Amino acid sequence: MPSLHDFWLGATTRRRSWRPSGGAPSATTRGTRTDRLPGDLLRTYALLVRWQALRLKGFLPLAIVVQSLFALGIVIGYPLLFPEIDPLTILFLATGAPAITLISMGLVAVPQVVAQARLAGSLEYIRSLPVARLVYLFADLTVWMAIVLPGVVFALAIGVLRFGLDLDVTPLVVPAFLLVALTSASVGYAMASVLPPTIAMLLTQVLVVFVLMFSPLNFPPERLPEWLQAIHAFLPVQAMGEVIRGTVASSTFPTTVGAWALLAAWCVGGLGIAYVTLRRRG
Amino acid sequence: MLLEIEGLTKTYRSRIRRGRDVRANDGIDLSVEAGQVFGLLGHNGAGKTTLVNQIIGLLRPDSGAIRLEGRDAIADPAFARRACSLQPQAQLPIDGLTPDQAIELIGRLRGGDRVEVRARRDRFIDELSLAEWRRTDGQRLSGGVKRLVSFAMAAVVPGSVVILDEPTNDVDPVRRRLLWQQVRGLADEGAAVLLVTHNVVEAERSVDRLAILDRGRVIAQGTPAELKSGVAEELRLELVLEPDAAAPLPAPFIQRYVPNGTRAVATIPAASAGDAVAWADALRRDGIVEEYSVAPATLEDVYIELVGRADTLSDKEAIDALAA
Repeated sequence: MPSLHDFWLGATTRRRSWRPSGGAPSATTRGTRTDRLPGDLLRTYALLVRWQALRLKGFLPLAIVVQSLFALGIVIGYPLLFPEIDPLTILFLATGAPAITLISMGLVAVPQVVAQARLAGSLEYIRSLPVARLVYLFADLTVWMAIVLPGVVFALAIGVLRFGLDLDVTPLVVPAFLLVALTSASVGYAMASVLPPTIAMLLTQVLVVFVLMFSPLNFPPERLPEWLQAIHAFLPVQAMGEVIRGTVASSTFPTTVGAWALLAAWCVGGLGIAYVTLRRRG
Repeated sequence: MLLEIEGLTKTYRSRIRRGRDVRANDGIDLSVEAGQVFGLLGHNGAGKTTLVNQIIGLLRPDSGAIRLEGRDAIADPAFARRACSLQPQAQLPIDGLTPDQAIELIGRLRGGDRVEVRARRDRFIDELSLAEWRRTDGQRLSGGVKRLVSFAMAAVVPGSVVILDEPTNDVDPVRRRLLWQQVRGLADEGAAVLLVTHNVVEAERSVDRLAILDRGRVIAQGTPAELKSGVAEELRLELVLEPDAAAPLPAPFIQRYVPNGTRAVATIPAASAGDAVAWADALRRDGIVEEYSVAPATLEDVYIELVGRADTLSDKEAIDALAA
């Protein structure tokens, strides 16, 4: 097994140099010496972010539309179910909307696109390049987070505007959103890496229903049957909702350290599975 | 030697039933040196792509050795991916990227300097005659143009070993020629080029050495001339049939005979050349054959002979696989 040092640094490339005429690489520049410099990793990361951003740029408008529809549905549509609506319910809906948009992108859109990339062979191509797998994984997740964030901000804004809410946002909101986005995307990524592509795509549909209907994002967990509460104590969805609510409406909703820890564990688990799958040699 | 492969064996284990394992590579030996274009020929499923994926470290061999620049590539797959650049057989999904962007980004990911990568990219765009599409989104490119872009992505910052898997698929005849010039150019720059193809006709003109792979084994290896030496005393008679005519029965002097649609290919001893011309000309006068030709046997004939002897393909399939 290569050492930790090797997997970070062993797969980076070194700069090669040719005559600027565009002529042939000289024999000495073809070699395979490795520059083990962090700068090379950053350079590879930046290039991969650009590669993935260009490939997924067509996805951005679609992502914003889908997320906005989700948000509108929750903030404008759900209240129609209640003849009278109390302020706590409103706050649940307004803070649940960004959580749901974020989670649905991570658990639905990410696995679908990754599964497609596997089917189309583009993942295999990236694997044939001299880039460290972990750097690729982070670059891909970075692009995904950038795609997801505008829709989340819109979801939050629409809740505030619709109900004239006064949120009390804490500085922890930034790490909270990043952690939720990264965790849901890594879990989605892991799902798409391990399962056969068609099964992964099917599972995303099941997850939409589960997240929308049976997860305590728009309502307190006590309303769920006990057995489902017990399950949610281990799944990341409830913790995602708590972490977001606790940082945008901190005076009403407390966040527990346990929720952050649970998310961190899922995040590391998802990343680990995705990384191992990317590295695996058949 | 830049690439050396010894006794390489890879078996795909069946997940469903034991005994159904497929030995995709079976004791493969080959080596490619700097400046050489080495052809790896074989029909679909012969084990070519399995071999490539082991060289670049995406698959782990069961046994055998792969050395790149004298270094153990199996123990160090990250090194293998620096030392090799690959044009994969599958069309690259470069939707969202223009050829300019795709070639430059891959060149820089392979460690090239921006200015130099751009200069070299511009040279490939120019020499492969791709200028009119250089800023077109990959989604709107034709299959042939994509294939050429994919070649440029592998060649812009080449490894010491450049692996091209079916590089001419979908490419038009004019640009095919340009592409072969570039392939030769890579070898002239000092790369070892491993060319994977089932297009025997093109390979004959373009490679320095070649190996024929069949059911995971190398069944022949050498220069095109060496491989053809076994058929030096043979000629190839090709008939183009009239549209509605049935293929004629082979004449007694014909050694091998492969009818396929409106075309039939026969191998004959050189001594029977006169008889063959007389026979074919009579068929032409009878309105069965539109035109015919007699020529020295080609690598294609050798290939069919060898693979046919290995008894893996029907003639029909062999012809289909060979049709470029």
